[in-house]
Amino acid sequence: MKRWGSTIVLVVLMGVLVGFPVYAQTGSTVEQEVKALKPGLSRFLLRGYAHSGFESYEKENSFVGGSFNPIFLWQQSDRLLFEGELEVALEDGTTTLGLEYANMSYIINKRMIVRVGKFLIPFGIFAERLHPRWINRLPSNPLGFNHGEQVGPAAALGAEIRGGAPLGTAKINYSVYIINGPSLNDGSETPEAAGMLHFDNYEDNNTNKAVGGRFGFLPFSSSALELGVSAQYAKVGNENSRYRDVAARLFALDLSLVKTVPAVRGIVDVKAQYSLTQVDDASYINPDKPETMYTFKNENAAYFIQGTFKPAFVANTFFQKLEFAGRYSAMTLAEGAAWGGQKNQWAVSLNYWLDWRTVVKFSYQYTDAPGAEAEAVEHEEEGTPLGGAFLIHWSFGF
Amino acid sequence: MYKRNLAIAVLMLAVVVGLTLLVACSSNKPLIAEKSGAQLWGENCVRCHNAPSPPAFNDYQWETIAIHMRVRASLTDEEVQKIVEFLKMAN
Ligand code: HEC
Repeated sequence: MKRWGSTIVLVVLMGVLVGFPVYAQTGSTVEQEVKALKPGLSRFLLRGYAHSGFESYEKENSFVGGSFNPIFLWQQSDRLLFEGELEVALEDGTTTLGLEYANMSYIINKRMIVRVGKFLIPFGIFAERLHPRWINRLPSNPLGFNHGEQVGPAAALGAEIRGGAPLGTAKINYSVYIINGPSLNDGSETPEAAGMLHFDNYEDNNTNKAVGGRFGFLPFSSSALELGVSAQYAKVGNENSRYRDVAARLFALDLSLVKTVPAVRGIVDVKAQYSLTQVDDASYINPDKPETMYTFKNENAAYFIQGTFKPAFVANTFFQKLEFAGRYSAMTLAEGAAWGGQKNQWAVSLNYWLDWRTVVKFSYQYTDAPGAEAEAVEHEEEGTPLGGAFLIHWSFGF
Repeated sequence: MYKRNLAIAVLMLAVVVGLTLLVACSSNKPLIAEKSGAQLWGENCVRCHNAPSPPAFNDYQWETIAIHMRVRASLTDEEVQKIVEFLKMAN
């Protein structure tokens, strides 16, 4: 018996001696592997989106190359984030590369974040929150929110302080920024565009910076509703010109309502924005009679209201992925100016979501220019074409 | 045109005031501070885009995304902390 006992002890001991190093080694390898995979404090995330489609207007139809937008996020610590977005697009037969934004955010404290660089401007909600192709429920942007016919800024270089805070059953958020600001087209190169504001100038044309901000209020504890007001002020004329004291005042109101409605087993989403730009009166060279000057009330407005319904909670998995979207938008550009005029547009879309960021949109839109002379419309090159159009787009977020 | 713009602005302001009054009258709502991460995720992450579900990303990715959304969407520090905790637990 005693012999058996010591044999067992010996065998177990040998087993432990032989096995332990193996066991210990596997243990440390797994640990090391896990450690090797664990990201350090400095982290990088590559995300972004892409889109393209087919567009059929009254006078032309074409597959559109759309764009590919990689987004780079570097998180250097719990407080420091860099975000950068590039846009690679096919436009008029060439490939263009654009810097959509590139900025650094530093979280100062719970209620305050400072951001510097090129960033999307919180003037209303469209530019900052709704324009990415996988977020915009329609394939097109509302009137007044496109490059070329833009009422209000979309992105700029500058510095910003922003944050959010709870307020009992409600919530608020704010942003205050200082940016280079828009520049006034004085007509010296393109008389027919004199008086227009250009928002995509990345080198300031004067020493006066634009200051602005947005204040958002979410009255319900469910955060379903957000109401926002934005404003911006700047002198916009060239430093050494007769327009140096011409100032522009910009205002915007926005609304966002997103609610799950059990009665209709779906999510109802309403978004709206109204933007207004007012530029001081000034006289510009009359493009029709270059030897004379002319003036006009330089006030521009654009608004949209958009509603979507997604039956996300019905039993049928096909219908769960469907979404119905409708939008009305209108734009009024300075009456009396050579570039002035009015446009409005209806757009409807049937969307099919393949996942939370991948969507195919089948849409019809009708754009009208009440009061425009047929001839002027014929020669229009910039901006949204008039008449009806079918747009089919897919957007892929990753 | 100016009158029309003014009318639209006044209309939107009226909606704002109306809705604010509506809230003022609807009392005994839960404080945001008392909500769970799951509830805050459901209420906040659908406001601009479809809400991503927890398995969409791993823990480290969620942390970076949380900072990105905290900045972009001006979410409060408190809700972001709770939402990330929930996403990391449920993925
Ligand atoms: C106020 C609007 C808004 C809210 C609320 C919001 N997001 Fe976003 N989200 C955006 C926008 C805008 C983008 C696109 C960023 C871009 O393309 O520049 C985005 C992008 C994303 C992405 C893609 C990766 C990235 O970081 O760009 C993820 C993931 C995401 N959001 C998750 C969330 C989660 C989780 C929540 C809830 C905590 C949330 N979002 C709440 C506006 C919002």
